Amino acid sequence: MKIQKLLLLVSLVGVCLLLLTLQTRGYGSAAGDLLTMVTAPVQTGLARASRATFGLWATYLDWKNVRAENHRLREEVQDLRVRALRVSDTDVENQRLRRLLGLQEKLPLTTLSGEIIGREWGGWIRSLTVNRGRGDNIPRLSAVLSPDGLVGRIVDVRPGASIVQVLTDPASTVGAHVLRTRTPGIVEGDPRGTLRFKFMARDGASIQNGDVLVTAGQGGLFPRGIPIGTVRAIDNRGAALFHYAELTPAVDYARVDEVLLVTGDTQRDLTAFFPADG
Amino acid sequence: MRGLLVLTVAGGSVAHATLTPMVSVRGVTPDLPLIMVILLALRRGPEFGCLAGFVTGLLQDTAGGGLIGVQALTKAIIGFGIGVAGERLRVSQPLVQVPGLVVLTILEGLARFALLQIFRFPAPFGELMMYVVLPQALFNGFVGAAVVLSLAASQVLRERFQGQPS
Repeated sequence: MKIQKLLLLVSLVGVCLLLLTLQTRGYGSAAGDLLTMVTAPVQTGLARASRATFGLWATYLDWKNVRAENHRLREEVQDLRVRALRVSDTDVENQRLRRLLGLQEKLPLTTLSGEIIGREWGGWIRSLTVNRGRGDNIPRLSAVLSPDGLVGRIVDVRPGASIVQVLTDPASTVGAHVLRTRTPGIVEGDPRGTLRFKFMARDGASIQNGDVLVTAGQGGLFPRGIPIGTVRAIDNRGAALFHYAELTPAVDYARVDEVLLVTGDTQRDLTAFFPADG
Repeated sequence: MRGLLVLTVAGGSVAHATLTPMVSVRGVTPDLPLIMVILLALRRGPEFGCLAGFVTGLLQDTAGGGLIGVQALTKAIIGFGIGVAGERLRVSQPLVQVPGLVVLTILEGLARFALLQIFRFPAPFGELMMYVVLPQALFNGFVGAAVVLSLAASQVLRERFQGQPS
C-alpha cells in the first residue's frame, strides 16, 4: 500500500519533470495547447458567471445607493423648502417692520408701535387687538396707522392690550376729503366689510374713480392727510342730497400685523408722508 | 461524492485564475487551490492529496500561462506530504492548521522558486518573497482560518442535528 502511494507520487513528479523538461526544450506547446482547450471553456463560463453575479451585485448596490441618496436628497429638499419659507417669511416681516419704522421715524408725531394679536372679523364688529394697553399710556380714540394709511381708532384700552375699531366696522365714521378736489364728506364702514364715502351732491360732481381720500383732520381726532382709500365706484343718487362712493381701502385690514398708535399731538398734516396715490 | 470532489478540485483551480483577482488586497491574492489541497489531503489522505495537488497545480499552470508542471509538482508533493503527516500527527486543531498553512505556502513558494531556477526561468528571490510569497502566505492563513472555522462550525451543527431525536 505504501509502495502504491509512493509510486503515485513518483509518477506524478515524473510527469511534471517531463513536462518541464519538454517545455524548456521547446516541445511543450502541444501539451499546453491541449490543456488550454480543456480549461478555456470552463474559464470562459466562470468569467461570464462571475461577471453576471458581480454585475447584478453592483446593480443592486447602485440601486441601494441611489435609493438612499434619493431619500437623503428628498429630506434635504424638504429642509431647504422649510428654510426658504422661514427666510421668505422673515424677509417679508423685515420689510414690513422696516416700512413701519421708516414711517415712525419720519412722522412728526409721537407714536408707539404695536403688534396685532387678535382679530374680530364678524359682520357686526370689525376690530383688531393690539398688544399695547393701559400700561403704555394709550389714550382712548387714538388713531391707528399703518405705512399704507389709516387703520382705525382705539375704542377700548385694557391692561396689556387695546381694541382698534377698524374703518370697515359698521359703526366707524371718519371725516375725510378727496385729495384732488378737496370734496369733504364722511367715510363710513359697511356691514359687507367695505368702505363708502358719503358726500353732498353739490360738492362731489367732479369726483372720479381712482381719486384718493385722506383724513380731513377736523375734530382733532385724526391727523390730516392720512390715506383712507381710493374711489372704486360712484353711486349717483340723482336729486338726493347725499351721494355715495365705494372705496377700496388703502390698508388690507385682514393682513396688517404691525401698526403705529398716535399718542401725542394730532394737529398736523401728514399728506406728504404717505404715497400720493394712496 | 468522488465526482463532486473532482469537480471541486478542477473547478476550484480554474476559478482561482478567474475569480481571485476580485478578492485581491493591494495586489495580493490567496492561493485558494493550495488551501483546498491541504484541507482535502488532511481529510482524505496522501493519495488524494497528491492527485488533487497535481490536478489543481496543472490547471493553475495552464490557466496562469507559466511553465506547465511547476505548481503541479509542488502541490502534488505538498498534498502527499500533508496527507502523510495527517495520518501520523495530530493536525486537526485549527491552531495547528492555520500556521501550518502559512508555513506550507512559504515552502511552496520556495519550491517553485527552486524549480524555476532549475529550469532556467529567471525570478528575483528577494522581491518574490517580500511582495508575493509572504503576503500570500499571510492571506492564505487568514482565509484558511475562516475556512477551518466554517468547517468546524458546520461539523458541530451537523452533529447537533444528527443527535436530535426525530
